[in-house]
Formats: sequence, C-alpha cells, structure tokens
Amino acid sequence: MLKKRLIFTFLVQDGRFMLSRNFSLQTVGDLQWVRQHYDFEAIAFSIDELVILDVKRGVRDLEAFAGIVRELSKTCFMPIAAGGGVRSVDDARTLLKSGADKIVINTPIFTDADLLQRLVRRFGSQCIVASIDYRRTGDEGEVFIENGTRPAGMTVPDAAARAQQLGAGELYLTSITRDGTGQGLDLDYLSRVGAAVAVPMIVSGGAGNFAHLSKAIQAGNVAAVSTANLFNFMADSLTDARQHIIDGGVPLATWGRMERVAE
Amino acid sequence: MISIIDYGMGNVRSVQNALDYLGYSNELIQTAAEIKASEKLILPGVGSFTEAMDNLSRLDVVGAIRDAASAGTPFLGICLGMQLLADQGDEGGLREGLGLIGGTAKRLETRDADLKVPHMGFNEVTYTKPSDLFAGIDDASHFYFAHSYVLDCPRERVVAIAVHGLPFTAAVQRDNVMGSQFHPEKSQSHGLRFLQNFCERPAC
Repeated sequence: MLKKRLIFTFLVQDGRFMLSRNFSLQTVGDLQWVRQHYDFEAIAFSIDELVILDVKRGVRDLEAFAGIVRELSKTCFMPIAAGGGVRSVDDARTLLKSGADKIVINTPIFTDADLLQRLVRRFGSQCIVASIDYRRTGDEGEVFIENGTRPAGMTVPDAAARAQQLGAGELYLTSITRDGTGQGLDLDYLSRVGAAVAVPMIVSGGAGNFAHLSKAIQAGNVAAVSTANLFNFMADSLTDARQHIIDGGVPLATWGRMERVAE
Repeated sequence: MISIIDYGMGNVRSVQNALDYLGYSNELIQTAAEIKASEKLILPGVGSFTEAMDNLSRLDVVGAIRDAASAGTPFLGICLGMQLLADQGDEGGLREGLGLIGGTAKRLETRDADLKVPHMGFNEVTYTKPSDLFAGIDDASHFYFAHSYVLDCPRERVVAIAVHGLPFTAAVQRDNVMGSQFHPEKSQSHGLRFLQNFCERPAC
C-alpha cells in the first residue's frame, strides 16, 4: 500500500536559508549554519522527500541555486524537488542535472501555460510539481503568484484543475494565511479541494508541532504534508515527529540506518 | 566500473551520487563502443517511452545494448529504463522497445477512483521469486516509486511486485538483465543495498 509522505521544504535566498511567515522572509543562516545546527543525515533519515525552493524576490541566480541543490543532494537518497524561478526547459534541466528529481513550478502555471506543457512533454508528468499558493477569503482560497505578491485572479480549485489539465503530476498547495504561524494547516479547505484532484496532493503552511503534521497526514485526499519551519524541526524533532505519526497509527515508510560500505 | 547510459532522460546524477556513496567507480557513457566495452550497465530513465527509444536510436546504441545483454553483461534498467526492456510501449500507439524482458509497457490502472496516478511515494515491494538483487533486504520493504506506466511482462521474468489498487511489476530478472520500477537511488537504505547487490555481481 502506498504510504503517505512527510516532506521538509528548504527556503533559500541568495545561498541563505530562510524562515517564512505569511511569505515574509527572515534569514536564518547559510549552508554552513545548516550543517552545524542540523544533523543532516538524521533529517535525511526521517523524511520521505526534500523540497528546495529559491524564494528570492527579484532576479534569481539559477546557477548558484543549482549549486545548493547539488550540495544537498549528495547525501540524500530520497526524492528531491527543486524550483523557484524556473522559466525555461533549460532552467529545469539545470536543476535536474544538479540532483533534483522533480521540478516545482508556480507562477508559470498562470503566465506561461505553454512552458508547463513543454516541461511535461520533455520530462514526464511525474517530474513536474505544480505549486499553488493561496490566501483564504471566506470559504474560498484565492491564488497568489510571484512569491505571493500578485493575485492570479483564480480560486484554488480552478488553479488545481488548470495545473492538472496542463499535465502536472503532483500538486503542492500552500496557505499563505497559515504559513509560519504554527497554528496548524488549513485542512478542512484543502481536503475539500483534494476531493476533486486526481493527482497526488502535498499540503503545506502552518505546521508548528507533531500533532499538526499527524493531523494533516491523516486528512482525506492528502498524499503528503510539508513543513518549511526550520526552527521547530531541528535536532531530533523530525525523527520524533515521524515516530509520533507512526505511533499514532498512520503507516509511513520505514528504512534502516545508512551503512557506508567501503569497496 | 559501472557504466550509466546517459541518453538525456532521467536523473543520472542521483544514480551517480548513490554509487559514489557506496564506493563504486562509475561513468556516464553515450556510445555503442562504450557500451560494448563496459563491465556493468545501468539504464536510468524518467519520461516517455517513445522519446526514450527515439533518443537511444539517435545515439545508435539500441543494437549495442541488445548485444551487451546477449553477451551476459550485468544490466539494470531503472524506472523507465525497466519499461524499455519490454517488447513494446503503448503510449496511445505502439513503439518498439529493447525486447530484453518482453511484454508491454502500459498505463497504470488502479480500478479505484480514490487512488491517484502517478503512483508517487514509498510502497512495499513483495518478492515473487528469489533474486540476488534483494539479498539482505527484508520482504515487503519500502521503495520509492514515481510512475504512471507499468511493465506487463511474462510472469517468469517477474521477481517482485507492488500494489497500487492492482498488483504490478516492481522488479524483473532474466539472468543478467534486471530491472526495477522503483528508484533504488531514491529509496534510502534499502535502495542503496539493492544497488550494492547489483554492483557486487561478478562482471561476465
């Protein structure tokens, strides 16, 4: 039986790792900082997938970002999705060659539908993750693009339908309203949206503790939960979170510790 | 030396990272001559069957791959790479495959509206026959899948299955020709062990 997934998302800007709240960014540290404060092997051991996003506002340096992806992917033997500012097939190829297995696409879903279709044709739908960011307005969710700064003029269900129609193999939905608040995810709404979604759906925005992750992963129509909350999940926290979910009766994938084998 | 065929599809870097971590020297190759000279071959792949066969044909390596397989060179197809071992792929129209395992690559069917496609995530792999590829790995261990197509091939070639609504081929073996639908390079410790088992096979 296919297992649900626990995902960690790194938010990167100019080589620095960021904390986000309602899509306002705060610098935490660079790769060296991450290495010092995280047992990276322990993190890699306790999550099903890693997402790395370039959240820079303004002109991005794709090569520099690809360098971060390359570094992080060297000892990660699980799937890695990378994105942020992908605007061409070449951009996507650069990230894939740097160690990404999947490409995350957001703004182009709404501004360059042809790009999404080309990426799907070139790399396959299972390689393309459509990222949709939204703010709640009453019962509905309104989509925002360009790092959450510009309204797309579409609701989440319509955006989800559009992304699937264009061939995306997976959706990644983030509540800007809940992002970084630690109040828990927007599950009722997301479950409802997910009922009409035919591809796997990752939900994100608002996880502050184990219970939030556990609840999200059990929600209907949810394939995976992602958190980008750097501080709440340092040291052993992710491993503990994973165990907590399993102890709560939700089966997740299990695997042994990595053992290095010298030839 | 493990030779990874780079035909422009699939994430060869992940496979290289895994082999580097395990300590096996590896290279990326693209020509018939290099395939002929290799001791062990890996054919990765993500994307469309048709485009993959187009690329392999353009590189003029289809014959060399078939020859290497006949000559007994250990050969591992991963994900699309395994599906290419079929006689043909059916992506809304039939396209000839490498024909090393047989059968047809076709769309995954779940027969369950609640199950999403692509089949994306970790799932149990259950053995149907003993295989040295899974030495030291418990039956029903979790491996990572990301696909919308499956290989429907002669049962005697199947060594492991997985279930997503319906059972489908998770791994195949026919002497020196092997394949995995899952991504061993993305399957944490089990996947690394699987790759190690492949790499430890004596070269012919």
